[in-house]
Amino acid sequence: MDPIAAAVLSSWTLDWKTVCLLLAVGVLYVRGWWRVHSELPRKYTIGKLAAFAGGLLVLLLALASPVDAFGQMLLSAHMIQHLLLIMVAPPLLLVGQPVLPLLRGLPRWIFKEALGPFLGCRELRQVGRALVHPITSWFALSVVIIFWHLPRFYELALNSLTWHQMEHACFFWSAVLFWWPVVGVWPSHPIWPRWAMIPYVVLADLVNTGLSALFCFSDHVLYPTYQLAPRLWGISALGDQATAGAIMWVPGSIAFLLPALILGMRALERHALPVRSVSRVPRPSVTAKAPWDLLRTPILGSILRYRHFRRCVQTGMLLLAAAVAVDGFLGPQVAPLNLAGVLPWTHWRGLAVIALLMAGNLFCMACPFTLPRDFARKFVAPRYHWPRRLRSKWIAAGLLVAYLWAYEAFALWDSPRATAWIIVGYFVAAFAVDGIFRGASFCKYVCPIGQFHFVHSLVSPLQVKVRETAVCDSCSTHDCIRGNDRQRGCELNLFQPKKAGNFDCTFCLDCVQACPQENVGILHVFPAQTLIEDRRGSGIGRLMQRPDVAALVLILVFGAFANAAGMTEPVMMWMHHLHALEHARLGLSSMVPIVSALYACGLLIIPAILAAACGWASLHWARASAGRKELTYGFTLALVPLGFSMWLAHFSKHLVAGWSALVPAVERFFSRVSSGFYAQAWMPVWMLSVDLLILDLGLLLTLYVAWRVARKATDGRRNAVGVLAPWALLAGALYSAGVWIVFQPMQMRGTMMMR
Amino acid sequence: MQRLKLLLTFVAVLAPARLFADGGTVQLRKEAGALLITVFTSPSPLSAGTADISLLLQHRNGLEPVLDANVSMRLRPDASDTEIQARPTRQQAQNKLLYAAPVTFSKSGKWRLALTIFRNGERTDATGTIDVAPAPEKARSYWSYIAFPPLMIALFVVREQLISRKARE
Repeated sequence: MDPIAAAVLSSWTLDWKTVCLLLAVGVLYVRGWWRVHSELPRKYTIGKLAAFAGGLLVLLLALASPVDAFGQMLLSAHMIQHLLLIMVAPPLLLVGQPVLPLLRGLPRWIFKEALGPFLGCRELRQVGRALVHPITSWFALSVVIIFWHLPRFYELALNSLTWHQMEHACFFWSAVLFWWPVVGVWPSHPIWPRWAMIPYVVLADLVNTGLSALFCFSDHVLYPTYQLAPRLWGISALGDQATAGAIMWVPGSIAFLLPALILGMRALERHALPVRSVSRVPRPSVTAKAPWDLLRTPILGSILRYRHFRRCVQTGMLLLAAAVAVDGFLGPQVAPLNLAGVLPWTHWRGLAVIALLMAGNLFCMACPFTLPRDFARKFVAPRYHWPRRLRSKWIAAGLLVAYLWAYEAFALWDSPRATAWIIVGYFVAAFAVDGIFRGASFCKYVCPIGQFHFVHSLVSPLQVKVRETAVCDSCSTHDCIRGNDRQRGCELNLFQPKKAGNFDCTFCLDCVQACPQENVGILHVFPAQTLIEDRRGSGIGRLMQRPDVAALVLILVFGAFANAAGMTEPVMMWMHHLHALEHARLGLSSMVPIVSALYACGLLIIPAILAAACGWASLHWARASAGRKELTYGFTLALVPLGFSMWLAHFSKHLVAGWSALVPAVERFFSRVSSGFYAQAWMPVWMLSVDLLILDLGLLLTLYVAWRVARKATDGRRNAVGVLAPWALLAGALYSAGVWIVFQPMQMRGTMMMR
Repeated sequence: MQRLKLLLTFVAVLAPARLFADGGTVQLRKEAGALLITVFTSPSPLSAGTADISLLLQHRNGLEPVLDANVSMRLRPDASDTEIQARPTRQQAQNKLLYAAPVTFSKSGKWRLALTIFRNGERTDATGTIDVAPAPEKARSYWSYIAFPPLMIALFVVREQLISRKARE
């Protein structure tokens, strides 16, 4: 092929946002089409599916093919793009009758809870009817086409990406409105008789013809940008403009007149015109169905159900932990070159929070620290129960504060040896605690990493849960908690039929293996459902009545913001300034006192004061049926999604920026020689968008949970708003702090800015 | 999976275009040796921060695009010694007739651009000046993300009103 032709054909501007959006819409449609096709196979045919898929494909061609790449240089290419957006993609999408499949393709809770009230709203339906009225839709398209072809506005679009996208959105959506009455899309009823659509499209073609003639016969270039653009293959700007006019005129008119012809032919076959047939399509029925179960998925489900699956994963993690510890002790004490400086702080933390977001507490499932004690227990069984007075999260909360403080005070991320000591300490502590006490006392009452995962798995979309409660009602053996001769029961005392959420659940799947009825699965749940329901759960009680859990949550939420702020440039500068002052006044050379004071304030004093103040203000402003403590604990728990979003934004930033840091560390570990390659911290430009979006979703989920808590605790909306207000303000303040943090330049730990 | 789909949808709808497409505004047009050089910049207006600089090389006679050149580029702000070097290539361009490279303008003002093009053993040089506007406020660039929660809260309030109205009816 001619190299220039090859270059032109390979000029695709594939933008990940466009591809993701089209894919998401496609998946939604196919999912919904599959459902309605099984109920109405003659109405929702393969042809409709093909038309919709074709419409999406045309959109992709318009927005990502060489037509888009050359639109800036050639008006004719730009014109083809507009024709595809106005005259090809919208009618194809509408022929697919997309409303019902797209609605049925949505998750049930979105359809019912989020969209349901709007779909039933009288005024909104009236607005919808007005928009697809033939007069409105005809004028919408005509005005939009004329407006955007005025030189002033066309130039605006050519010189600004935002306005260009706006122009395309106007073309596409006004075309959707225009073609809506022509195609006859459910659920709207035809307002005019079908034959009236013939003059409707013919008149629209007149506008198109007028504009085309202007392009074809103008003696000067209408858009200065094309006058300035380089002339490709010697095509003059005026010649390009006339070609664009011809494209608009001939294929454009065909696109208008072809439907007119089809409508005319159908009008002649009168009996084939079911004027109001669309109204007979039943409204979407939303029936309850069993939640999706990860353990029932074809391949992954079988792997997860494999009896020794957890052991295999734990063994892998054990080997990895051993390698990290060995390298931490014996390797060079340069964090970016050492496995202990890279794997735990950059990769493990990032992957852990992403796993929590996508699935659940997968890292407790793969925890290597409990493997040696499991092995030891085969020979010596522990004799004692964990002391009753210590059955709370206070010890773990204290250790968590100590860990967060030590991380910053002693720059743990920068010390491979300290990291190795932490790993060894973890193994020893787990071995010692669980060597003396029965069950998984270390996980439940001591492990700070475990508490991090327990709390944040409350917003995970998957939960280890019984599939059918009726099966458990008839069970008398309770193998899930007691165990049986081939499988131990739950070590954390979570009785499956009464289990509430993921709290204290390590995803060990012992209950799955133990249940003889195979009635335990990893089911899909609404994120944060446990926080909203707040029912008494086996082994954990009611979370809203536990001060230790509220304290743990406060530490984790404020810790998320303090930990992330600690690596931003302004905060680091401020700390160094404080250090200089301290050094001048008191002669102290260490940063530890400053970090200690800041962490004492940031993790303990300020959260406690704010929670108490919000709790007091809640009941001062409104009346509630619940007590102050219970309300305070409940609203504190509602902050979990926001705190998690800050951890997620922070750790995923490290993971993305420092992903390649693994290469030099692994290379050096195996060869024992450094190649001199240092990983560069590279932050993709989209990361800030993702971080902000994560914080947005965290705030919204927190406010939603808090609203539900407030509604439960009060008897009217006004009281609920009053009770919620101080906590919403606190959430807003934390969100603002999070936005400020992600806007700041950050220290990329574990990587080097050099080669 | 459903959350992932939703997340992707939200990302797709909200993310502003931070990865600039090549092409964009014509900044410079020069005839040098046997070549006609056109320099484009994106975003428009060009401002301090990450930007895309792309070049179209054409034969002066016939205006056929040139696809087999080696291009290097140097950018220097006026009254400063700091210099950015970049190698625009066709691989980095979306429009494969262009040579593109991402660059980061550290500050606003006038920047001197020097291009060196090697083709068939011949060297062609071209210079010019580019105006770079001050960087827009980050909060302004990402306003849609900051506006998203209030918008959703407003929709939620409307939803609550609709539910209570229906309950009253």
